[in-house]
Amino acid sequence: MKALLKKSASLILTLGIVSSLAACSSGSSGGAQGESNGKIKLTLWDQSVGNTDPSAKLLPEIVEKWNSEHPDIQVERTGTTGEQYKTKVKTSIAAGEAPDLFYGMGGGSFMQPYIKSGNVLEISSYLTDDIKERMGPGMAEAINMDGKIYTLPVYTHIANLYVNTELFEQAGAKIPTTYNELLDAIEKLKAAGITPAVIGEKDRWPGMYWYDIIAMRQAGNAAVMEAFKDPSKWDSTDFVAAATKMQQLAQAGAFNSSMFSMSYDEMLGAFNAGNGAMMFQANWVNAGIEDPSSAVKGKVKVIPFPVFEDGKGTNTEIFGGAVDGFYINQNTKHPKEAVEFLMYLSEQLGTQGFLAGAGLPSWKTDALDTSSLSSLDLSAADIMKTATSFIAWWDNILPAESAEAHKNLIAQLLAGDITPEEFCKQMAQLKPTELSL
Amino acid sequence: MNSVFSNKGTIAVFVLPTLILFCGIVLIPIFVSSYYSLLDWNGVGRGTFIGLDNYVEMFKDTRVLNSIKNSLLFAGASVFIQLPISLVLALILASNAKGEGFYRTVYFIPVLISTVVIAQLWSKIYNADYGLLNVLLQNIGLAHWAQDWLGQKHTALAASFIPTLWQYVGYHMLLMYAGAKSVSQDVLEAARMDGASRLRTAWSIMIPLMKPILKVSLVFSVIGAFKVFDLIYVLTGGGPFYTTEVPSTLMYATIFDTFRYGYGSAISVFIIVECLVCTILINSLFKTE
Repeated sequence: MKALLKKSASLILTLGIVSSLAACSSGSSGGAQGESNGKIKLTLWDQSVGNTDPSAKLLPEIVEKWNSEHPDIQVERTGTTGEQYKTKVKTSIAAGEAPDLFYGMGGGSFMQPYIKSGNVLEISSYLTDDIKERMGPGMAEAINMDGKIYTLPVYTHIANLYVNTELFEQAGAKIPTTYNELLDAIEKLKAAGITPAVIGEKDRWPGMYWYDIIAMRQAGNAAVMEAFKDPSKWDSTDFVAAATKMQQLAQAGAFNSSMFSMSYDEMLGAFNAGNGAMMFQANWVNAGIEDPSSAVKGKVKVIPFPVFEDGKGTNTEIFGGAVDGFYINQNTKHPKEAVEFLMYLSEQLGTQGFLAGAGLPSWKTDALDTSSLSSLDLSAADIMKTATSFIAWWDNILPAESAEAHKNLIAQLLAGDITPEEFCKQMAQLKPTELSL
Repeated sequence: MNSVFSNKGTIAVFVLPTLILFCGIVLIPIFVSSYYSLLDWNGVGRGTFIGLDNYVEMFKDTRVLNSIKNSLLFAGASVFIQLPISLVLALILASNAKGEGFYRTVYFIPVLISTVVIAQLWSKIYNADYGLLNVLLQNIGLAHWAQDWLGQKHTALAASFIPTLWQYVGYHMLLMYAGAKSVSQDVLEAARMDGASRLRTAWSIMIPLMKPILKVSLVFSVIGAFKVFDLIYVLTGGGPFYTTEVPSTLMYATIFDTFRYGYGSAISVFIIVECLVCTILINSLFKTE
């Protein structure tokens, strides 16, 4: 009896393990490119999940519409929020488990390693003149990487100064168009007990935006472009002057004293609650400012960053112009269908998203009714029309490690830990950009 | 049935699933990471083999050394602040205090809450603009002490330690409480008969008899300090200016922000070695005869 019990017990246990292993191995593998009943399944990852992110509402609608119109090509979408999304995509590409299509941050270094290592499908051969025709001016060039095309544009984002007109009026300050007027406004705002500008420096890139625009206003976009290619040029009078101005602003009390513990999200929260008179950010903040929950709805104006009396930059030189888009996994089993969907998605999201205030258009919008757009979106679009040159986010242009160093140096500059001269000496140690600008 | 469990084959069958899982999730990744740590690799494409260069660089990198210093400080704080508090609470609770069950549950609640939630909670407490801590200081007439706790170099480190210390007090307390409860009532009664005071009993009888459980707590709290990640990551992200950086957050930043998988893996291997060495050290120090 005992022996029988023993035998049957081990048999049951063995069976249990075998079946559980089998269960594990079947269902979970891949998932990315499964096919069932002749239907093609495409997976799509994006980072649009926020409450005030208009794409978060549009994307599922567009995907649903596509799915109903294309019963043979079904798209399955997964959204993950910002920084986590980046980590998720990086890890899955490294592990060879990337989805068929995924969202890529515009402007350079994020996608660069994957394009170089051949993880992203080149779509140049699929692009017809008809599609190029439908894109906005300059967009075909913007997505071109050494003569090859990997993505289609969706939105364009540019950074500008957001000013809370109510707080400016309260302080009796003038909306600044020059550096001296900016200093003047800071003084008046401070005297009125208002925080002149908010920075979420815990995440470090919001502070970087300030230094970068100051450097561009001081040295001009052309000089900045040169310095990206030859870092020794960072150590020159113009950039020292820019660093000096940045530190001067910090010392004049332009920024919230809690900036080093404030995150980007908290910064938006503070500005939208009316706790800061200025914010330098890209137009993806528009929807949040215009949201019914925002205390500053309708009180905010977007203007080009002030020019400098002694600067070489003009206010038509723009920080931004980064074209975000979706990329196709090189290992997708259905490249043709993926490209087809990419074209549909990019144009639909690009145009409808513009109307919903998600970003500036990368596609022709002449036939669109723009009456629903907020004044912020319209002014941002107007500013973009004046552009004579664009420089996208510096942390996307610099190689990853140098980008980190750049952000950390700016934080030190803001805290007054290093002098502008030291700052520029260290900037000169950065690596040149790997992008062909 | 007993013979089933004493059969080596059956034991193997029982252990096998866990063993496979453990190898797949723990052991193999450790070996893979050790291999990666010998590469100069950006995470995609092919890495170049550079031998021990990453380790050599690591011990010259002031940022790494600073993060190690922080984790040692943190381990020190855990051992000398967190554990004594847990011990005192455990001894009080175990001495048939009123509301024993209630307090036991209350102190254990923070352990159950996700660390990310705890970090969010404390970052609101510390907030410079509307934080509870500053408001409290203002209300008790110490307004000049109010400051940006997590945003300044000289306060950030201590401020980011406190939540973890606080969070796990209940955990260690529960372990020690169980240890204290298992001390035989006969021994305690004998001590009482001899007229030993409560303090004397705790010091001369309870603590020596709780030695095995104290060792476990010590190992857990030191290792926990070495690999703390989520709380620091959410609270400060290692900032401002690396002042709160610990090896695990530095590893994350190295891998995911600067694409240096090889260097980051070297840091992760260091964390494993550091934890192993400490465990062995504590075990040999506390050798129970």
